[in-house]
Amino acid sequence: MPSEELGPLPAGRHGYSREQVAHHQRERLIAGLASAVAEKGYAAVTLTDITREAKVSRRVFYENFEGKEECFLAAFDVVVAHLRELVGEAVEPIPDWPGRAIAATRAVLTFLASEPDLARLCLVESRSAGPAVSARFNEAVGQLRPLLSQGRAERGGGRPLPDSTEDSILGSLVSLAFRKVAGGEAEQVEDLLPECAEFVLAPYLGPDEASQLVHEAT
Amino acid sequence: MRALPGKASRQPPGPEPVSRDAAAADQRRRILEATADLLAEHGYQGTTLEMIVRQAKVGYATFYKHYADRDEAFLALLDAATERTVARIEAAFQREEGPWPDRVGAALGVLFEDVAAHPNVARACLVEALTAGPEATARHERALKRLAALLRPGRELNPRQARLPENLEETLAGGVVWVLSQRLIGGEAAKLRALLPETLEFLLRPYVGEDEAAKEAGEFAEAISA
Repeated sequence: MPSEELGPLPAGRHGYSREQVAHHQRERLIAGLASAVAEKGYAAVTLTDITREAKVSRRVFYENFEGKEECFLAAFDVVVAHLRELVGEAVEPIPDWPGRAIAATRAVLTFLASEPDLARLCLVESRSAGPAVSARFNEAVGQLRPLLSQGRAERGGGRPLPDSTEDSILGSLVSLAFRKVAGGEAEQVEDLLPECAEFVLAPYLGPDEASQLVHEAT
Repeated sequence: MRALPGKASRQPPGPEPVSRDAAAADQRRRILEATADLLAEHGYQGTTLEMIVRQAKVGYATFYKHYADRDEAFLALLDAATERTVARIEAAFQREEGPWPDRVGAALGVLFEDVAAHPNVARACLVEALTAGPEATARHERALKRLAALLRPGRELNPRQARLPENLEETLAGGVVWVLSQRLIGGEAAKLRALLPETLEFLLRPYVGEDEAAKEAGEFAEAISA
């Protein structure tokens, strides 16, 4: 979301409705926050940084957001919604569960690698942006739970997997991605695809089948 | 602190006076405890030095005698708490003489015990440490790596050893930390015990396979409920 692509709004009569302008300003503020956070880290970002990046006034900021945290939350939501869309598109045409799980993993990692600043915003900065953002982060990760738990149907009879299996898998992957991104290696997150996909499939399909399927798909 | 020669006669009778070292240690303990309790309620960004001083019932001068600022107190809390727990975990792992899965079970038991006994401190180390800047994150990572090292011997039990990913141990440890964090955020520290066998199963599965991991987890569940 680089804000330099958005020049300042022309002054005076520009033919936009009030709502369009407001919507536009909100988007610019979100983009402005994302660039400011990428540059300085959430804790150090000031309202002045955000409004300067967004090229809007402080008054406009307060018309849209109560403060920095609310603006961050909005940015986080935009990124997560986009990610959800990407995952949805990736899994939609694929009929089989292992294929869907691999495609979803790929979609998330590809996005994080191609947008390192947003990857950092979501995974790293979100942790210091207050309890509301932390809760939203946990919620976003939790939304991937059903995608994984569908794998339970792939298993024959026998003992069901423990209830916390999906949370453990997701937590492991978040932790793995977090370490890469926090270490400034977001671009290399894509290299983790085979490892992550195998980690997702193995509890459901067993390590050999998981490894073979991932090998074929990557 | 022993009395200096010649001064002994001036010591009041009765119990040993509190030494200066003990008093200082007590002040630090109060500051760190207050920091942990405040963090659990307000998060790292919402906790100020003023709040810490008030809650710990110490003066600013006392605070500054021990720590330069809030961040330093928080890092001291992380150091003290992770050292205590990680050392206890390592000791439990070493003490257990059974095969590797039993040793992992013993280590995991101590981790869960400490988290349940000190939920606010655990929350500071597992949740807030990740929101408090690079120094705190680095400490969290170091502790995670020490725990991951206990898993590594499991590779010898795996016929596919060579194909296990390089980061497997850190990834698994990260998964356990995530599940613990979720429970702490949800205020469910008291219910952690029930989660212990399945967490063990999750850790063992990549090394010993599903059946063996489930068997170990079952035996572990029996052992801890006995």
